[in-house]
Amino acid sequence: MTGSPTPSPPLGTDPLGIRSTPSPEPSRRTWIRVARRIFTWHAWSPVVYGAIAVVVGYYALYELGVLGVYRLSYALLILPGILNGFYVSLELVAVYIPLGFGVGFLVGWARTSQSLILRGLGSAYVDFFRSMPPLALIFFASLLGAVALKDTSLDPYTQHNITLWLGVIALGLHTGGYQAEIVRAGILSVPAGQTEAADALGISRIRSMFVVTLPQAFRISLPPLANEFSSVIKDSSYLYIIGWFELAGAGYSYASESFRYHYAEAAIVTWFEVALFFFVLTYIVTRTLRGIEDAFRVPGLEAATL
Amino acid sequence: MTALQLRGIKKSFGKTVVLRGVDLDIDGGEVLCITGPSGSGKSTLLRCTNLLITPDAGEIYLDSVRVNQRSVRPEWVRQKIGMVFQSFNLFTHLSARKNVMLALRHSRKVSRAEAEKKAIYELNRVGLGDRMDSFPAQLSGGQQQRVAIARALAMDPEVMLFDEPTSALDAESTHEVLAVMTRLAREGMTMAVVTHEIGFARAVAHQIAFFDNGLIVEQGTPADIFEHPQLERTRAFIQKILR
Repeated sequence: MTGSPTPSPPLGTDPLGIRSTPSPEPSRRTWIRVARRIFTWHAWSPVVYGAIAVVVGYYALYELGVLGVYRLSYALLILPGILNGFYVSLELVAVYIPLGFGVGFLVGWARTSQSLILRGLGSAYVDFFRSMPPLALIFFASLLGAVALKDTSLDPYTQHNITLWLGVIALGLHTGGYQAEIVRAGILSVPAGQTEAADALGISRIRSMFVVTLPQAFRISLPPLANEFSSVIKDSSYLYIIGWFELAGAGYSYASESFRYHYAEAAIVTWFEVALFFFVLTYIVTRTLRGIEDAFRVPGLEAATL
Repeated sequence: MTALQLRGIKKSFGKTVVLRGVDLDIDGGEVLCITGPSGSGKSTLLRCTNLLITPDAGEIYLDSVRVNQRSVRPEWVRQKIGMVFQSFNLFTHLSARKNVMLALRHSRKVSRAEAEKKAIYELNRVGLGDRMDSFPAQLSGGQQQRVAIARALAMDPEVMLFDEPTSALDAESTHEVLAVMTRLAREGMTMAVVTHEIGFARAVAHQIAFFDNGLIVEQGTPADIFEHPQLERTRAFIQKILR
């Protein structure tokens, strides 16, 4: 077949390829727009997503023949214990994430300071806490606390409580090191002209930090902060090793029990449930941050976010 | 009466000498246009005037008070000298109205209600009464620069410094900003303007200073500088920017 005819161009395409009509742009945009609608945050979203995850996940496992539907009763049986772990995790996260943010804010700010001493201290903090494994930090803090408290007049119960919370503080200081870098990047990303304009208006440096630089740095820092938060939420399971009976801890105990007394596969149900609650916990936090991001969005600058 | 006096201002950045001892007088109500090639130190001189840059040597007098000395807080000086930048530098997270209010609230410590009243007045003065709640990203360059002018004016400065206020603008925006500046000059504001807008300089300026290589090499009325420049260097530059 020589001289085969050139295939006719698809409908709506300009044969010369100069302009293609209709442009694919609107349909793709609609698709994005619809997707956006679907994933818009509502009060009931975690429930819906959670339910979908349960059904799909459970069905998948059932189909694989790993589990029978009768295992659902086991999932419900352990639910109160897992929920208890969930509340403990929530409590821990509510302590060490704000602590980490406070520390991270101060250290990050110090890292952008003009004072060599403050910058040096900030760098030392970040270098130390980012390089230490959180597991070691938590052990260090609670064991050192235990040694230091050994000969005091405090009753053992209080001593134990203090060592538990020292571990939580250690985790807060650990995430503080990461958050410090996010805060520093946020501050540095505010153009120098902003500070210069504030200077030129006779606003003092410290005030312009609070009314000009930080409000802008805060907006820039929110997405990476959400990233760090969602990562460090899962680190709460490290606290199990010093005696916090949190979500992963509850999982461990039920899973090992299920191995002993029930079919081994029941452990899978346990971990599935634990994962589900970690998902919910992370989802609540990241979605809250997304909400904050939306609330502080600057009109005219929204194009950058989806 | 001399509003602003500069005596022997010198400034170097590392080994680069930017200002080599500049003397300058601006009388109250006078408009001085500073022109000259890029890198000649014009912007640095303006920034020295409101102490955004500390000069290495020389004296700055504002109403006969020496301002570059230890006992004078730079904040105090900057409240009396307004400045408008080439790149506007509006606070991007605040509406036009809040941009104007910010300095009043945090530098002059004026009450919110009073600051708001002043902001509305100043924004109307630059013709932006209808865009008060717009954010910088929603405004054109010319509108942003007019907000910046309103923001500086709200502090009731004695002197206004303009650092190439129209260099980042298109023709239409340039026109609208220059119109505001012209009216300001007619109202008797003391102004120092770094600009290459010859039309504006000719029509509005009382004095033109030609800057080259860290010094004012020629100074005089617009007629002197534009029609009968004394130096070959000035003549060559004027030729270039007139074309």
